[in-house]
Amino acid sequence: MTRLRLFALNALLTLLCVATLYPVLWVVKLALSPTQTLSLSANPLPEAVTLDHFRAVLGSSDAQGRWLFGRQLLSSLVVSGATTLVGMSLAVTAAYALSRFRFPGKDSGLQLLLVTQMFPATLMLVPLYSLLQTLGLLDSLGGLVLVYATSSLPFCVWMLKGYFDTLPRELEEAALMDGASRWQVFVKIVLPLARPALAVTALFSFMQAWNEFILAATLLNDAARFTLPVALQRYVGEYKTEWGHFAAGALLISAPVMALFFALQRYLIGGLTAGAVKG
Amino acid sequence: MSDVRLVGLKKRFGDNAIVKGVDLEVQAGEFLVMVGPSGCGKTTLLRIIAGLETADEGEVYLGGQRVNELPPRERDVGMVFQSYALYPHMTVRENLAFGLTLRKLPRADIDARVAEAARMLELDALLDRKPKALSGGQRQRVAMGRVIVRRPRLFLFDEPLSNLDTALRVQMRGELSRLHRQLGVTMLYVTHDQVEAMTLATRVAVFNQGLLQQLGPPMELYLRPTNTFVAQFLGSPSMNLLTARRDGAHFRGAGFTLDAVGEASGEVKLGLRPQDLRVADEGPLRGEVLAVERLGFDGYAFLQTAAGPLAARFEGSSVEVGQTVAVRPLGDVLHVFSADGARALRHP
Amino acid sequence: MSRGARRVAASLLLLFASAALAAPLRLWHGYRGGEEEAIERIARQFTAETGLEVEALAVPYDALSSKLTSAIPHGAGPDVFIFAHERLRQFHRLKVVAPTPALETDRYLLPAVAALELDGAHYGYPLAIKCLALFVREGVAAPDSTDALERVLPAHLSPDTFGIAWEAGDFYFHAPILAGFGGQLFGADGRARFDTPEMARSLTWVKSLQDRALLPQEVSGALVKTLFNERRIAMAISGPWFASEIDPQLGYSVHPLPVVSQTGLPMSPFLGVEAAFDSARSEQAEAAQRLARYLSVGDATLQRVTLGRQIPAELAAWDDPLVSGDPLISAFRAAAERATPTPNTLEMARVWEPMKLALKAVLQGGVAPEDAGALADRRYRALNREALPQADPRPWLIALAVGVSWLLWRHARRPRQPSPETWLGLTWVAPAALGLLALVLIPFVIGLSLSLFHHEAGDYTFVGGANFVDILTSRGYRFNEPLSFYFTLAVTLLWTAVNVVLHVSLGLFLAILLKEPLLKLRAVYRVLLIVPWAVPNYITALMWKGMFHRQFGAINALLGLLGVEPVSWFTHWSTAFAANVITNTWLGFPFMMVVSLGALQSIPADLYEAAAVDGASRWAQFRHITLPLLRPALLPAVILGSVWTFNMFNIIYLVSGGEPGGGTDILVSEAFRWAFQRNEQYGFAAAYSVLIFVVLFVWSRITRRLSGEEPA
Repeated sequence: MTRLRLFALNALLTLLCVATLYPVLWVVKLALSPTQTLSLSANPLPEAVTLDHFRAVLGSSDAQGRWLFGRQLLSSLVVSGATTLVGMSLAVTAAYALSRFRFPGKDSGLQLLLVTQMFPATLMLVPLYSLLQTLGLLDSLGGLVLVYATSSLPFCVWMLKGYFDTLPRELEEAALMDGASRWQVFVKIVLPLARPALAVTALFSFMQAWNEFILAATLLNDAARFTLPVALQRYVGEYKTEWGHFAAGALLISAPVMALFFALQRYLIGGLTAGAVKG
Repeated sequence: MSDVRLVGLKKRFGDNAIVKGVDLEVQAGEFLVMVGPSGCGKTTLLRIIAGLETADEGEVYLGGQRVNELPPRERDVGMVFQSYALYPHMTVRENLAFGLTLRKLPRADIDARVAEAARMLELDALLDRKPKALSGGQRQRVAMGRVIVRRPRLFLFDEPLSNLDTALRVQMRGELSRLHRQLGVTMLYVTHDQVEAMTLATRVAVFNQGLLQQLGPPMELYLRPTNTFVAQFLGSPSMNLLTARRDGAHFRGAGFTLDAVGEASGEVKLGLRPQDLRVADEGPLRGEVLAVERLGFDGYAFLQTAAGPLAARFEGSSVEVGQTVAVRPLGDVLHVFSADGARALRHP
Repeated sequence: MSRGARRVAASLLLLFASAALAAPLRLWHGYRGGEEEAIERIARQFTAETGLEVEALAVPYDALSSKLTSAIPHGAGPDVFIFAHERLRQFHRLKVVAPTPALETDRYLLPAVAALELDGAHYGYPLAIKCLALFVREGVAAPDSTDALERVLPAHLSPDTFGIAWEAGDFYFHAPILAGFGGQLFGADGRARFDTPEMARSLTWVKSLQDRALLPQEVSGALVKTLFNERRIAMAISGPWFASEIDPQLGYSVHPLPVVSQTGLPMSPFLGVEAAFDSARSEQAEAAQRLARYLSVGDATLQRVTLGRQIPAELAAWDDPLVSGDPLISAFRAAAERATPTPNTLEMARVWEPMKLALKAVLQGGVAPEDAGALADRRYRALNREALPQADPRPWLIALAVGVSWLLWRHARRPRQPSPETWLGLTWVAPAALGLLALVLIPFVIGLSLSLFHHEAGDYTFVGGANFVDILTSRGYRFNEPLSFYFTLAVTLLWTAVNVVLHVSLGLFLAILLKEPLLKLRAVYRVLLIVPWAVPNYITALMWKGMFHRQFGAINALLGLLGVEPVSWFTHWSTAFAANVITNTWLGFPFMMVVSLGALQSIPADLYEAAAVDGASRWAQFRHITLPLLRPALLPAVILGSVWTFNMFNIIYLVSGGEPGGGTDILVSEAFRWAFQRNEQYGFAAAYSVLIFVVLFVWSRITRRLSGEEPA
């Protein structure tokens, strides 16, 4: 590759990165600008910088003097963390069984998992609401966690099963011969080897819970327990959008997910495709 | 005392019967090699003994105890896999210690045993490496070490040398033999390579199509094969088989006549080891040389005769491709089998 | 301790216990800013005076109505809620709102009381009124008629300025003009009529203002504000909320809307009455009534006026100089005298969507004002499905029973040898299976069966396959226009195909660029290019929606730098569709890039070396090595991506919102509208969902063939 071509490649990639980041810069600009409105300008860099919007979003408190953003951040973290934990622990065992054991109903179960993904999620809202009421889980973070964890299960199970399928069985057999029980094989051999897939799947289920707002907005009735996306929704009304607050809030909400993404990105490439390539 | 006893074992996968009823006894301290072409059921048999597969029918006894329902870890059996199956996320030391840690042995015991096995296998310098950083032979030794540290009563090997190059294979064969002598435990060894079978085994079990064909010391199998399958499977190049008919004092086949031996009558299969045949000026068999495998001063010539292909040894340099030559047997060398090849009627 | 003292202690304890046991009164509202502050203060005062705790919750306004209608019937909602009166009829039918028999009708403005009346009974306590008025900039003569208006405005025209602005595409703003032209929205039978001469005349007038540039095009609330504050219009039509958006340096006055000169009738805006309603399911009904009343009178009213700048419905407030002396508030009271309460009928709720369609069609010039009424009429009839006749469920139950027993029989017939792993496998999947059964499969089955019902105001009627017949025969509209299932399906398929192709080609292209081994900054590029994936997709959608804004969007600003005229993205199907696609492409390419990167890594380099030795060009290498070897890795990703895109609700709903006229809606967003925006027709929406499901199911079968898998 000649020097010229390398330069051209770098130039092209830089251009593409700028194009990709332009909308993000635009949001940063909105968040840092002193106004609440959009302004007609192609320049993605802010003309005047203020942290007022961040201050307003971060510092909001309710009538009882509770620090709303802090509580909402906490409830988002709790919900997403618990969803990931619950969802992953259900998904790994099921995916492993589906990958390794022979038992009746396995194939139809797998098909059923896929099929449920094809029914639009928003339309499940009506039956879900009644169901959660029956279970006494309305307006509770626990109910939300259960719904998120189960609704992300099909995807997690499929991802993990695909990855488990690619792990050589002989390793597990060797462990069995070494005297491990099924459970020890799973915990000491399979899970460590499946780390890339576990990381990616966990990231997805965390993200799904972190970003969801339709269900959370419908189920939760206490501002101090809202998850962050529900809180953000307040700034985007049908008649009036507080763009500055929205942008600041959007950045605050996206930041943790981005951080996770960057932390886990080395796993992304292997974890996503190993199943397809090797299998 | 028999250490391993299999009674009427059967196993099928779907519509495919892999093991069709096998009875086998292995004595304590024996090195038994199970050999056969791929798909003959030998690996499945090994896995049933290990507890990785369950038999559809029949019984497995280890040390006199019926173990059909026992999981592998309660059978006190160690296994070396074809792919070595080293845990990629653990160092060599952790690989070796894994089985002992699971048994919750004291730390000091574990260390001692690992050190001992490492010394025995010359792995001392590699203990803190990950399997990724090892050569094929080193991996092979770690895989064996993993079994050795556990001191099981029975070692199982599933084609452990098939991924090594020739030189290493010869070396490892030697090490395996030494190990067997040193440890004195029962070893069951699966391979499709008859050379390994001949060199390692105290006894060899030949399998074909899910059935045990013959069981015995290597030389007995070589000298007195019970059927044409065993006869052809052991020995290289493999035994020539010629169809012939007993005609009084002669066996007559297409284009050849040999002096008859034994009691056989009617149609038979004659078995002649290439080592027992010489290319000569005169002889009862004639054919055109298709190929020559020269090992030096001597070698093997592969002929096309009227009775079919035939391999024979030659000495000297006179054999050329395209030549028509004669072949003569060196004395009483004739194996005689029934026409369908299923029974041996006579050995030299 | 004496006996007396013990008794006192016991009763004290009881008192505390009961006070602690009484749950706080829950109050839900959709207010922000000053109004929210006022409500919080009033709630604190109420607690101080009565000892009853109040927990006020500000719900995002867009979500409030659906939260109320889903929570209250389940006994989970608030005790008191504040909402505009126009939903009253619906709330009543859904048994959400309790009557207010003790309403002192003479304490409040007459139209406000009238608005809360339903079949002779009153519901809720009126708090405030809202209506439109004319904001006139200082120094401009306030016109009292349309003739005067048209005389005044041309003086303020210049290339960069207009005369007047209002959100002309919204029927709330057009309703007063229609009334001024003598138009009656509802006929004697209570049904809406659009195709009337008055409608045509009112539209013609608005269009003529726009044609003369007296009224700018595509006016949004933000544009009205900007134009007014930048002194680029002389007047604006807006409501009381507008006052807080006006530059404090700018002088202005507020007047009632003018009289239409052609008819002599005043423009009569809708009067919205905000009221504190009591929940029908409150467990503390008495306390709830107390709180609702407390919110509507006396000091509470003054708080709402001074802090929240509301126009009070309580008559007594007008005696207070703080209220009557406020020019803005009294001007709105004057304006309200010409207003008519928004009808609180179900019919009214059905008018908005057809009228929005007609208004936009006329103002964008696609439809003549005379034909717009017919257009609205057709949409109106399409949206308002008659209640379907009840069907006999027996054949369906029999079919279900036969189906289930056939499945069971087929299952039982298959010979199966019990595997020793059966128990093991079932134990391991059991926790996940239980969770899925409870929270995914049951709602899924309920969702499926809902499609056989017709839902109206909380009552479900079994109608058999009638919903499907309606959808598949495209009843009420042509096959080839928006709202027809087939049109939407075609849009959805096009949407999916275009997106997937763009995602894959862009992702693959970038992956190949990034594969260059000499690239030093590869890791940096890769991280930057993944960013869109990490942004929550509703944020992406809103962000791009802002960027596509006609007047203030960055896209048009960029195009401006290139000398291109600003594009009005959401008025034409092709540009609106393109805006959706651009947004979704930005969002989706990183996934495909990452998948491609992983897949490319798995192709051994020596294959390329071999090909290079064979003299293959770069293109040939791509064509004959890269593509075929990528196929197994990309195919599952493509299938997954296509399902995601097919159901990508957020982007469609938030970016184009189906504009223009529902043309860019896809099947999911259409189903959502039927379920939540068109009188909760859950059954019809469920039937849509079932059809979506069927399409995707067929697609998954096809792709299984493609990927060479045998069906399990």
